[in-house]
Amino acid sequence: MSWAWANRAMLAHYLGQHLYLSLMPILFGTVIAVPLGIACVRWRWAWPPVLSLTSIFYALPSLALFLVLIDYTGLTDWTVIIPLTLFSMSVLVPNVVDGLRSVPDPVRQAAAAMGFGMLRRLIQVELPLAIPVVIAGLRVATVASISLVSVGQLIGIGGLGYLFTDGEQRDFPTEIYAGLVLLVALALAADAVLLVARRLLTPWERGRVRRGTRRVLAVAWLGSRTDAT
Amino acid sequence: MITFESVTKRYPGGTVAVDRLDLTVPAGKTMVLVGPSGCGKTTTLRMINRLVEPTEGRILLDGRDIALSDPSSLRRGIGYVIQQTGLFPHRTVEDNIATVPLLNGWSKAKARGRSRELIDLVGLDPAMARRYPHQLSGGQQQRVGVARALAADPPVLLMDEPFSAVDPIVRASLQDELIRLQAELHKTVVLVTHDVEEAIKVGDQVAVFYPHGKIAQVDAPQQLLGAPADDYVENFLGFDRGIRRLGFFRADGLDLDTEAVLAEGTTIEQARQAAKRAGESWLLVTSAERLPRGWVALSDLESAPGQETLAGLKLAPYGHTFRVGADSLRAALDATVLSRTGRAVGVDDEGQVVGITSYDQLRAAIQAADEAVSRDAEPGRSRDAEPAPGAAGEGTRPS
Repeated sequence: MSWAWANRAMLAHYLGQHLYLSLMPILFGTVIAVPLGIACVRWRWAWPPVLSLTSIFYALPSLALFLVLIDYTGLTDWTVIIPLTLFSMSVLVPNVVDGLRSVPDPVRQAAAAMGFGMLRRLIQVELPLAIPVVIAGLRVATVASISLVSVGQLIGIGGLGYLFTDGEQRDFPTEIYAGLVLLVALALAADAVLLVARRLLTPWERGRVRRGTRRVLAVAWLGSRTDAT
Repeated sequence: MITFESVTKRYPGGTVAVDRLDLTVPAGKTMVLVGPSGCGKTTTLRMINRLVEPTEGRILLDGRDIALSDPSSLRRGIGYVIQQTGLFPHRTVEDNIATVPLLNGWSKAKARGRSRELIDLVGLDPAMARRYPHQLSGGQQQRVGVARALAADPPVLLMDEPFSAVDPIVRASLQDELIRLQAELHKTVVLVTHDVEEAIKVGDQVAVFYPHGKIAQVDAPQQLLGAPADDYVENFLGFDRGIRRLGFFRADGLDLDTEAVLAEGTTIEQARQAAKRAGESWLLVTSAERLPRGWVALSDLESAPGQETLAGLKLAPYGHTFRVGADSLRAALDATVLSRTGRAVGVDDEGQVVGITSYDQLRAAIQAADEAVSRDAEPGRSRDAEPAPGAAGEGTRPS
């Protein structure tokens, strides 16, 4: 504890960097995934190829991508942000598609019959109803992104990942534990923020039973453990 | 007025959903499309607001071809109610109802005000305004669906199996509500159902569909019941259509017998003479206020001491009554069939006895009603004359 307090400025620096490196990909990933998902629902033929593509991005080891990208982007933040953006996007696109498809058919039909145009229906009806499923995807993507940033330390850009490699080289476990605690705290905090956001954005869901929340948490927790150690 | 001119809907692959359909829906009336599933009734309905486009033919709304109007603005002038309600789960009841007014550019405050009016109109508790649809029962949701369809006061209302998903009691009350609303609002309503009873209950006109997109008969309900066009329609209408048709004739056409009705202060000797004069084997005993008490048989009068009054006798229960001004011949017949004396008691709105009827009077009244129908092609029908099943003369059972 005393070590952590003495080095609080350094810890705060790496925590801030970690936050930045993990959240930028979520932001970019969302900006790409939402229109892509909408397009895949609108034009059904686009969905199978896009799904294959996102599955490939999802399966690619981030480390390999970091190394490939060094040649183009050098040792900058982009080298970490770009692969993680692709990863987040591939987690999010299926959720956007599922979310939009979860809108009940009678609701869609009633909207059309009341004189909603395509765009208005999307913005006022379909996207709001897709929010719970999209946020479920965001939670998985965010926690995974937070844990994957530390892998970036292998090319020298890894936020809290620095504490793991540095602690290991100096044979100083306290530093590793501090990094681990901060990483897990960051993941839980980000998840909590998303849960609150969902609650505020979807007041109609209150008091309704939703399945799947527990599963998402468990996966996220397992993910952060295996990647961080 | 909605006019179908030789409208055909053929789907890719050759399935013909609607086959050269001609149909006119008069303005301000309720037209019910009824038929087995797959008969094209829903397709017909959806062509009116262009959710489905016809392959051939024209549909005119007040003389204008709807194919020439912009779908979105056409639809904002046509209310639409569906079985699964299609309410927006993410919007409160009042916001759901305000949907079309808001699309039409009303201010939020004005649209909210309109919502409150409609919540009241369809008989919902104002406390429901801020709830979400999933917090409502099926029947309440369907009322919200009707309110939403009526919000912008469209002249036309389309209803696709609107009451099929609720239980029979709620369904009956929603049907009554529709009849009440329609008497007030005079919309041009097209309602799709597979339930013949519903069609006959709510329709001014009923179009019976053959299974493959053609109409077998379009007629007012009592004509349909009285003169089905063919065996298909007759089978589709189902069992005891003759009896059900009596629901359209008021019981005030009955020639009620008053001679065999006696107050309980009458002596038994007077009653014997009255029975012989009337040629009746049963007498109805009433209170001094003419409320029914029960039946007494002539054979019981013979054995009783003549100077006593009827009040001292043991009476047979008078059974169900029917209201002469409000109930139908069907209710009168039902009360007669259920009565062990073969006679039923007609009462006024206060429950006081007007007279009694037996099968003889019923037969005469039915014949008279039939003749009136054949004289006049379109007699005024009395919807409220339709008795609730099993409740002829409500609340007048003997205690």
